[in-house]
Amino acid sequence: MTATLTDRLLGRPLDRVDARRKVAGAAPYPSDFDLPGQVHAALVSSTVAAGRITRIDRSAAEGAPGVLAVLTHENAPPLAPPPPNDLGSTTRWTLQDDRIFHYGQHIGIVVAGTRAQAQEAARLVEVEYAAEDPVLDIGDPRAVVEANPYGLETGRGDVEIGLAAADATLDATYSIAAETNSPMGLFTTVADWQGGRLVVHDTTQYPTMVRASLAAMFEVPERDVRVLIPFLGGGFGAGLRLWSHTVLTTLAARVLDRPVKLVLTRPQMFSSTGHRATNRQRIRLGATGDGRLLAIDHDCLAANGVEDRLSSYIVASTPVQYACDNVATHDRIAHLNIPYTGFMRAPGGAELNFALESALDELADQIGVDPVELRLRNYAEVNPASGKPWSSKALRECLMVGADRFGWAGRDPAPGSMRDGDWLVGYGMAGVTFDFYADPCEVRLTVDRGGNATLRAAATDIGTGTYTIAAQLTAELLGLELDQVRVEIGDTDLPPAPQSGGSGLAGALGAAVKDAAGQLTERLARLDGGPGETFGAMLDRLGLDELSATGHSDLAGAAGSSELAVAGPFAARFAEVGVDEELGLVRLRRLVSVIDGGRLYNEKLARSQVIGGTVMGLGMALLEETVVDPNTGRVANGTFGDYLVPVNADVPDLDVVFVGGPDAFTPTGTKGLGEVGIVGVAAAIANAVHHATGRRIRDLPITLDTML
Amino acid sequence: MTGIEYVRAADPSSAVALVSEEPDAAFLAGGTTELDLALKDRVVHPSRFVDIGRLPLRGVTRTGDHLRIAALTTMEELAADATVGARLPLVREALLAGASTQLRNMATIGGNLLQRTRCRYFRDPAVAACNKRTPGSGCAAVEGVARMHAILGAGPSCIALHASDPCVPLVALDAVVVLRDADGIRRVPLTAFYLTPGDRPDRETVLRHGELVTHVELPLLPAGTRSGYLKVRDRSSYEFALTSAAAAVRVDDGTVAFARLGLGGVGTVPWRAYEAERVLVGAPANERTYRAAAEAAIRDPFTVPGTEFKVELAKRTIVRILRTVTT
Repeated sequence: MTATLTDRLLGRPLDRVDARRKVAGAAPYPSDFDLPGQVHAALVSSTVAAGRITRIDRSAAEGAPGVLAVLTHENAPPLAPPPPNDLGSTTRWTLQDDRIFHYGQHIGIVVAGTRAQAQEAARLVEVEYAAEDPVLDIGDPRAVVEANPYGLETGRGDVEIGLAAADATLDATYSIAAETNSPMGLFTTVADWQGGRLVVHDTTQYPTMVRASLAAMFEVPERDVRVLIPFLGGGFGAGLRLWSHTVLTTLAARVLDRPVKLVLTRPQMFSSTGHRATNRQRIRLGATGDGRLLAIDHDCLAANGVEDRLSSYIVASTPVQYACDNVATHDRIAHLNIPYTGFMRAPGGAELNFALESALDELADQIGVDPVELRLRNYAEVNPASGKPWSSKALRECLMVGADRFGWAGRDPAPGSMRDGDWLVGYGMAGVTFDFYADPCEVRLTVDRGGNATLRAAATDIGTGTYTIAAQLTAELLGLELDQVRVEIGDTDLPPAPQSGGSGLAGALGAAVKDAAGQLTERLARLDGGPGETFGAMLDRLGLDELSATGHSDLAGAAGSSELAVAGPFAARFAEVGVDEELGLVRLRRLVSVIDGGRLYNEKLARSQVIGGTVMGLGMALLEETVVDPNTGRVANGTFGDYLVPVNADVPDLDVVFVGGPDAFTPTGTKGLGEVGIVGVAAAIANAVHHATGRRIRDLPITLDTML
Repeated sequence: MTGIEYVRAADPSSAVALVSEEPDAAFLAGGTTELDLALKDRVVHPSRFVDIGRLPLRGVTRTGDHLRIAALTTMEELAADATVGARLPLVREALLAGASTQLRNMATIGGNLLQRTRCRYFRDPAVAACNKRTPGSGCAAVEGVARMHAILGAGPSCIALHASDPCVPLVALDAVVVLRDADGIRRVPLTAFYLTPGDRPDRETVLRHGELVTHVELPLLPAGTRSGYLKVRDRSSYEFALTSAAAAVRVDDGTVAFARLGLGGVGTVPWRAYEAERVLVGAPANERTYRAAAEAAIRDPFTVPGTEFKVELAKRTIVRILRTVTT
C-alpha cells in the first residue's frame, strides 16, 4: 500500500469528530480547568494612557479578605527578557518598571482564595500617576513614525513614469477603524509550578511559542515547560502573541508556589489581547483608457503601540495582486498610546484588499469598464513580482463563476439605478489574491496492534476543525476508517507544530502527516505479509505492539527554492446591498463567494470557514470599530453590547462555491482557508454601496451616520 | 468583599417593607441590568437585594378600553398578548425591537421602565467624572465618545440616554405607572415619572425609596387609529436605538384628527413629542406636515460631536413612521 490522496475520505463534508463533545460541554476550554489547591487572580490596570506610576500602595489590597499576594513593579521578582519569535513579536513584560504606555496596561496582579476576593482586592490597590498627554491618533504630529519598519517596501519599474503615461489616474485615501478580535472564549491562564516544572493551560493559538517565551523569561529549560490547549474558544489571531496576563499569572504561581487561575473580563479583552490596527492607505493608480494598469503606488500608515512593533505589513503583497509593470509600496507605523496591536484574521491582506479593490472599482467607474472585466484585463498569469508560474491559480474561474452565480450581467452600471421599495439596491464585487504562511511542522504517527492510528503534534484546534481534518487525512493516507484514528494535539510535550494562524496549519500539518504516513506505509510495504493484511494483523504477526514514524514539513523553507511562485488562495466576492437613503441604513442582502483554496480536506468545514470569515468581513465593513476615548485613551466600547459584531439578523444568504484543484506546491495540494473568508468582503460591500447610491465611502466601518 | 444580602420577598407588602427599612436596599426583578451594575460594573452598591421575581405581579388584564399590565410581566409575554397585538401595534413592535429573545424572556416591564442608562462612562467606575454616579464630578461623555447618547433633555451635566424601546410608545400613549409603598398606592403618568438630569443627573425618577412599581395602566387606542414603531440602528438586532419613534395617528378625510408621538434614542428620558402632536392635529396628512412636526419635535437639541447626526436622523425617523402609519 502507498500513502495516496483520494476522495475516499478526503474532501468529504464529514461532521466534526469533536462535535458531540463540544455540544455536550465535554470539550475542555482553558477556563474549564481547575487544579487542586488553585487560587485566583485579578489584574490591576492603568487608568491613564501615558506617564509614570508615582505611588502604588498595596497595603489595603494585601489586608483584604482572602488575599495571598499583590504584585506590582515594586515587589515583583525580575524576569529575563522575552525572546523574539518568528512572528516578529516580542511582548513587553509589564511589571518591570513604573512606565505606562497605554490605558488598561497591567500594573499589578492580585491573588486571593476566590475570584471575587481577588477582583475586590484589585480595586483596593491605590495608584497615583504622573500622567502625560497621550498620543492616540494616527494623524497626531507628536506620534513617533517609523518608515519601512519591516523592510517590506518594494518597487518595480517606475510609478511616476507609469502615472505620467496613464490615460486615467486615481489618487484616493482609505481608512480602516481599529477592530478587536472578540472571540467568545475569554482568555484564560492556569499556571502550575510542579517543583521546577511549569504546566500552563493558556488560551493560545501558538503553544510552542508560549513555551519558548515562558522558558526564557523564567529561565528554565523548554522541556520543563508544558503548555496545554486542547480546545480554544476562538482567537482570530488574538492568540498569536504572548500576552502580559499569561506572564503575570505564571509569575504569581511561582511566587505562591501553587496553581493560579486568571480569566480576563470582556472589557479587559479589548486592551489585553491585541486588535487590528487602524490604518490609512493612499493608493495612486494609473491606467490606459481601456483599463490596463500602468502604475500602482500604495502607501500605508498604521498604528502600533509604544515600544511595540507588530502586524502592520499591509502593503506586503500589493506587488503580486495584478499584472502591472510599475509598482511601489511605502510602509509606515505610528507609535501610539493605545493597547498593543495584534493579529486579526488576514492581518494586512484584508486591509490591503479593501483599499486596492475599492480603488479598482473607482477606476472602473471612471473609465467605464465593467469591474469584473477590469480585473480580467489585469490578470496576473504569472507571479508579477517573481515572474515564476503560480503553483495554482483559479482566480479567473472565481471571477467568471461568481459573476454567473450572482447574476452580475443583470447589473445596470449606473449608480442609483436599482431600487426595491425604500431601498436602493447596489451590486459590488472584489477580487482576492491572498497568501499563507506555514512554519516547520513535526508530527508523530503511530499504528498499533489494534489496527488503530494515533497522530500527535503540538498543534491547536482554534475551532475550525484541526482534529477532524487531521483524522480525515490520516485515515485517508493509511487506508483506515475515520474512527480508527486518534488525534492528540494542544500539548507542547508533543512534536512541535506551528501556530494556527497565517492560514498555514492545515498545509503544514497535512504535509507532515503525509510524510509520516509515507514512511509508515513504505516500511509496512516491506514487511507486507500479503495483499489485504491489516496493520493490526501485520504487527501481530511481527510481534510488535506499535510502529511509529516522525513526519516533517517546512513549507516556508521550501517555498524559497521552489520553481513555482507559491500561491495562496484566490477568491471573488459579489455582494448585493440595500441602502435606505433616508435613514442611512446599509444592509447586506446576499453575498456570493467563489474560492480557490486548492484541495479541500473537508468541504463542510471549508464552507464553514468561509461563511465565518464572511460574517467577520461584514462586521469590518459595516459595524466594527474599537473606539478609544480621545482624552484618556480608554477603550470606550469594550463590551459586546457596545462593540458591534454581526448578529444572525445581519447575515443573509451566503453562497459559497469552491473552484480550482490541488495546488502543485504543497504536498497535500491545500492552500489554507483560515483567513481568505474575510478578504474582499469589505470592498465588495463598499463597492455595492457606491453602486446603490453613487457615494464612495472610503472609511470603514460604513455606519449610518456616514450615509446621511 | 462587602457582601450583599439577598432576600426573597413573600408578598408585595413585605417587599416594600424590606426595601424601605434599609437605605441601600434595592428591588431585584428580571435582573438583566441590576446584577451587572452591582456585581460586574460595581457602580451601584446595594446592601440588600429584595428579589420580587416570584411575587404574583404577572399578567395582563383588560377592563373596557384599558390594559392593566402587572410589573413582572415579561416583554415577550406582553408582546404575545392578543389585545396588544390587535389594538396597540406600536407597543408590540417596540417590545420586539428591544434586546434579544433571550433577554425579553427574562426582562420585566417594571424592570424595563427602571433600566439604567447604558452610557459606558456611567458603567465604568474607573471613569471619575460622572455626575449621575457622583453629582458634581463632571461628565466624561460630553467630552468623550458619544454616540449612544441623548440630545433632548440633555445638557453639559449629563447626556446619558434612556435606552428603552417599550417606554417610547408607553409615553406616547399616556401610560400610568402604579406605585405602592407603605403609605399606599399612587398613580403617576409615565410622562411625569422620569426626571431630566438638570443639575442632578443622579435623580432619574419620582420614585421614593422603597416604592414598588406594581402595574402599568395603558389606554387602548381609539378605533380607526393606526400605529407603529420604527427603530433605527446599524445592527439589525440587539442594539439600542440610535433613534426611534412610536406613532399613533388617525386621519379623517385627509386631515390628522388624532396624533401621538414618542421618541427613543434621543432623550435622557423616554420622550413625548407634544409639540409635534400639536403641529399634526388638524393639519393635512402629507409630507410637509410630517416634516414640520419633525422640526417641532427636535427643537433646541443639546449635541456633542458624536451625536450631531441624531438631529437630522431623528427628524427623518419621525417623517418615516408618520408616512408609514398614514399610507
